[in-house]
Amino acid sequence: MPDSERSKRQPTFDTLEREKLFKFPPKQGSSYKILNEFVAPHIESFNALFDDSGLPSGDGKGKGLLSLGLDDMGERVIFDGTGQTAGTWGNRMRIWIESVSISRPMVPDKNKYVKDRKVFPAEARERLASYRGKMSIKLCWTDPQGQRQDVTRDCGLVPIMVRSVRCNLRSMSSADMVKHHEEAEEFGGYFVINGNERLIRYLILPRRNHVISLLRPSFTNRGPSYTQYAVQIRCVRPDQTSCTNTLHYLSNGSAMFRFSWRKQEYVIPIMLILKALVGASDKEIFEGIMMQDYDNTFLTGRVELLLRSYKQFTMRTGEQALEYLGDKFRVVLGMADDMSNSAIGALLIRKLILVHIENPREKYRMLLFMLRKLYSVVNGTCCADNPDSPQHQEVLLPGQLYGMIIKERLEEILNSIRTFINIDIRNGNTVDFNDKRYFAKVLTRINFDIGSKLSNFLATGNLVSPSGLDLQQASGFTIVAEKLNWQRYISHFRCIHRGAFFAELKTTTVRKLLPEAWGFLCPVHTPDGSPCGLLNHLARTCRIVTAPLAVAHIPALLAKHGMSEPFNACIDGRTNLCVQLDGHVIGWATPAVARQLATSLRIWKTEGKNEIPMDLEIGMVPPSMGGQYPGLFLFSSRSRMMRPVKYLANGRDDSIGPFEQVYMDIACTPEEIESEVSTHVEHNPTNFLSILANLTPFSDFNQSPRNIYQCQMGKQTMGTPSTALKHRTDNKLYRLQSGQSPVVRPALHNTYAMDAFPNGTNAIVALRKSGEPTLHFGLGPEIKPHAKGEKRDSCLDFLDLDGLPYIGTKLRSGDPIAAYVDDVTRRTKFVKYKGDEEALVDEVRLLGEDTGDVELQKIHITLRITRSPVIGDKFSSRHGQKGVCSQKWPAVDMPFSESGMQPDVIINPHAFPSRMTIGMLVESMAGKAGAMHGLAQDATPFKAVEAAGYNYYGNEPMYSGITGEEFAADIYLGVVYYQRLRHMVLDKFQVRTTGPVDPVTRQPVKGRKRAGGIRFGEMERDALIAHGTSYLLQDRLMNCSDYSTAWDISLGEVFTGTSISRKPTGPGGEYCRICRAAAEQEDELERQALATGQHLQRPQASLSVAISSQNVLGRSLKGGDLDVVAVPYVFRYLCAELASMGIAVSLEIQ
Amino acid sequence: MNNDQQNSQAMGGHGGGIPMQAPRQDMEYLCADCGAKNEIKAREPIRCRECGHRIMYKKRTKRMVQFEAR
Repeated sequence: MPDSERSKRQPTFDTLEREKLFKFPPKQGSSYKILNEFVAPHIESFNALFDDSGLPSGDGKGKGLLSLGLDDMGERVIFDGTGQTAGTWGNRMRIWIESVSISRPMVPDKNKYVKDRKVFPAEARERLASYRGKMSIKLCWTDPQGQRQDVTRDCGLVPIMVRSVRCNLRSMSSADMVKHHEEAEEFGGYFVINGNERLIRYLILPRRNHVISLLRPSFTNRGPSYTQYAVQIRCVRPDQTSCTNTLHYLSNGSAMFRFSWRKQEYVIPIMLILKALVGASDKEIFEGIMMQDYDNTFLTGRVELLLRSYKQFTMRTGEQALEYLGDKFRVVLGMADDMSNSAIGALLIRKLILVHIENPREKYRMLLFMLRKLYSVVNGTCCADNPDSPQHQEVLLPGQLYGMIIKERLEEILNSIRTFINIDIRNGNTVDFNDKRYFAKVLTRINFDIGSKLSNFLATGNLVSPSGLDLQQASGFTIVAEKLNWQRYISHFRCIHRGAFFAELKTTTVRKLLPEAWGFLCPVHTPDGSPCGLLNHLARTCRIVTAPLAVAHIPALLAKHGMSEPFNACIDGRTNLCVQLDGHVIGWATPAVARQLATSLRIWKTEGKNEIPMDLEIGMVPPSMGGQYPGLFLFSSRSRMMRPVKYLANGRDDSIGPFEQVYMDIACTPEEIESEVSTHVEHNPTNFLSILANLTPFSDFNQSPRNIYQCQMGKQTMGTPSTALKHRTDNKLYRLQSGQSPVVRPALHNTYAMDAFPNGTNAIVALRKSGEPTLHFGLGPEIKPHAKGEKRDSCLDFLDLDGLPYIGTKLRSGDPIAAYVDDVTRRTKFVKYKGDEEALVDEVRLLGEDTGDVELQKIHITLRITRSPVIGDKFSSRHGQKGVCSQKWPAVDMPFSESGMQPDVIINPHAFPSRMTIGMLVESMAGKAGAMHGLAQDATPFKAVEAAGYNYYGNEPMYSGITGEEFAADIYLGVVYYQRLRHMVLDKFQVRTTGPVDPVTRQPVKGRKRAGGIRFGEMERDALIAHGTSYLLQDRLMNCSDYSTAWDISLGEVFTGTSISRKPTGPGGEYCRICRAAAEQEDELERQALATGQHLQRPQASLSVAISSQNVLGRSLKGGDLDVVAVPYVFRYLCAELASMGIAVSLEIQ
Repeated sequence: MNNDQQNSQAMGGHGGGIPMQAPRQDMEYLCADCGAKNEIKAREPIRCRECGHRIMYKKRTKRMVQFEAR
């Protein structure tokens, strides 16, 4: 093939390109940009915590979430109670936190020896430490004169997300990254906690600031007259903390407003809130809900009842309602004593009711909308929304959760300062607000260590929170990012969980794959088993919005284009749809106008006109008969899922969300476009799949469950976990030494740097029927676990003068790995290698401390254990076709084809009919063609397979490797990429004949580690009985278990009880103590009887158990009446236990 | 420091069963950050003299390491 033609043939393996990239990583930017893009939600949400996040500011002032949280927290007011006699509260002190700062990870100031104070993640990993930066707060208070004082307090070390704005690796190029012992492709997004990489998993939450209607029969259990109907809204404050409000419909026509505060639920009649918000008159409320629809008697009736129900409160003005609320919630909210009731009522409304809206008037409008929607659900004019549908869901991002925890901890600090001062006042201690030292003394008693709380959260995933953060779970937020192989590693950053609460749910509706999830959650990439459908992965092109958008101008823009303003009092609710932007009612429009507005907005946003941001979601829900509640719902908030598609009206790129997607017609391919129907077309038909699902070659040919299995198996493959192996400290790392780039690969293989981390080997596969199900040959991988040791100092054959092992030393079980001098006993102690397999010392690290002034306390030894494949190891192709190696065969004896190809693997063709993995057959053919031509083969799903040189069936004549004779049949031969899975017999085999036993029962112990047995249980016993295999039964349950022998007096009783007078001795002179004593006693009795002439009465046993004569062993011929019988030891134990209760067991032997 | 060393030598002999009378050569380690050679004696802090880094690697052994190669 001439060079020009060769370069034209695509795709190639890019071998030289890759080598260059690996040898000389780019000095600017990163080698694979897409990797930085797909973790962006993790990193950007963390960055958003800080004022210098680098994110666009949107409508706000660009303040970070922490600053916004401080604004929301406000201040605490304390009185010293000095003036109580005078009727005042005494001196007033305000305390608040002015600012929070978190620095980059640095070496502590104590360390005077360091040149570069920066700490990099690699060091944290290697030293098994955490990657943390210093956090400090500026705490302010006022003295009685109103003078402001401030103090800066240290809040400990807070874990920092790698490659975030607070990380020292931020914006480093690949070359720099390699210099700092990271992967060239390192993308960050995780935390380093005690040397482990941990990340906060995405969690699905209800969509914020959107009213959803619920129909739950369980609502009726909330109290009398509650019904199953409710509407719910999850309101999110600017600092991303949330508060869920629910409006319940009562059977008497009114509604109850529910919210929770510090895990406690509170219910308020909706009328009270409507009145308190704007002091609305009854007429205003009536008109607001009715919206000119006076003929609707259903609605008029309910609203009338609603208004009448308020009469019992006998409050007329809004001020009265506020005072009432404030009075009831004064204790609960715990605000300053000098606040008036109405101020507390207003605070309650600000803090807990529709918190996404500032303005009470707008809150009032939103509440009216909620009421209208609620009545509409009850009426049946609209249906209940499905909370399990991605249409009504969004994502909890790691940074937001982190921010919520920090905010809550800061709030706790303020509260505890107040509590401590109040306790001092109550106990009569001297409290002097003028004295700075007093305040300092109070501060010393308060735990400021937020850093350790966050470290604990990340290390355990447990959320310790007084408010619960409006989340449904308290644990399972974080996971370890295992670097088993590249596929598993990158999957962690794309996985999204439905919530631990749903895992326990008996119903399976939450696990259902819904059409709404198309393009956002991958339908293929979910584990089978208990987390199926709950643990999903984001589709490849799905993004999560992390930047705030500028949308403040949109209401005015829409009003200009025909939308009625919300304050318009004479809007007909029957003909007008509500227009909402992020949960604010911004106006009303007729369906036709609303549709026009939606179209205009879409055109503007795709063409970049009128400054409409691309990530605005335009959910136009058209009026329907009993469908979803209609309206034009615009969303600009963060943490929504969005994905790119092409807008057909103008051919521009569009970004759509799951809410609007439901009402769109999106063609998968350009051929599918129906004119007048289709609105959008996919950029790529495979975009709905996750990264891993995309990597299955020819997955469109396979039966769908096989693709699901492959997604799991790809993640269990032994591959190349990292290219910075020298600096990894994982507990266990598997490394394949014969990694290859697959011949057959989808286009995305290159995009996601898969070739930088090979995961398997191209194997020549022959299909041939034989006795064994599968038969493997010739993959040579290697495993690399490591152990952790402690300490120092001494010498031996394995150990150097420093007491540490020579690098490269081969260790067998029991060999010393390290020696040290025990400071107490002054003797040398050895740490021994405990594994069963031979290991090689790969690396020895001496770990110092942060401060740089501590002698050697900790060492870290990496051991390498080589494991060539053995019979019983598990392998799989990339089509969910796993199998176990059943036979290894010398290469010389393997059959060969005419062209000299020799199979590496022979598999049984029976693997195909039931599993229907046609993709594997196509792969093997394409692989053979690719190998012949020296080309990579494109295996992207949904692409027409090109006839790349295989115009034959793929069968070839083959010759026996032993005799050289040709086989009777032609054999199908091809190249398939095979993966070695991490499940290996060496870790799993469990064999025993005899071995350790339980000391009490003398039955075999359990557990592989203790060389125990596998339980031969009741059902297994039943099977043996059913088969009539009595010898097996005897062997399993007796001989290999608690076989024991006992002496028995033939025809007498064994362990206890009386005996007939026989010779109670065995052949070796053994005797039964009981019998002999009894015999002597009996002898005595008989003598007495003889003397007195009375008849002798023998005691009689009431229960007898038979032992068959088969169990009597080696009956002695020598005479004597003692025999040996086989008895299960537990039975003797049982007899002993019974004897302890005064029950004698007597046995009969036949 | 010198005293310390002799002490540990004596004990090393006791524990390992091999008397270590020969003058002890100093152990050299490689800094994990800058790669500089560092002599670190017993009970000295783990710290690179060049850059102050806190992790050291043990140097590759100069002894012959031979495995069965089959």
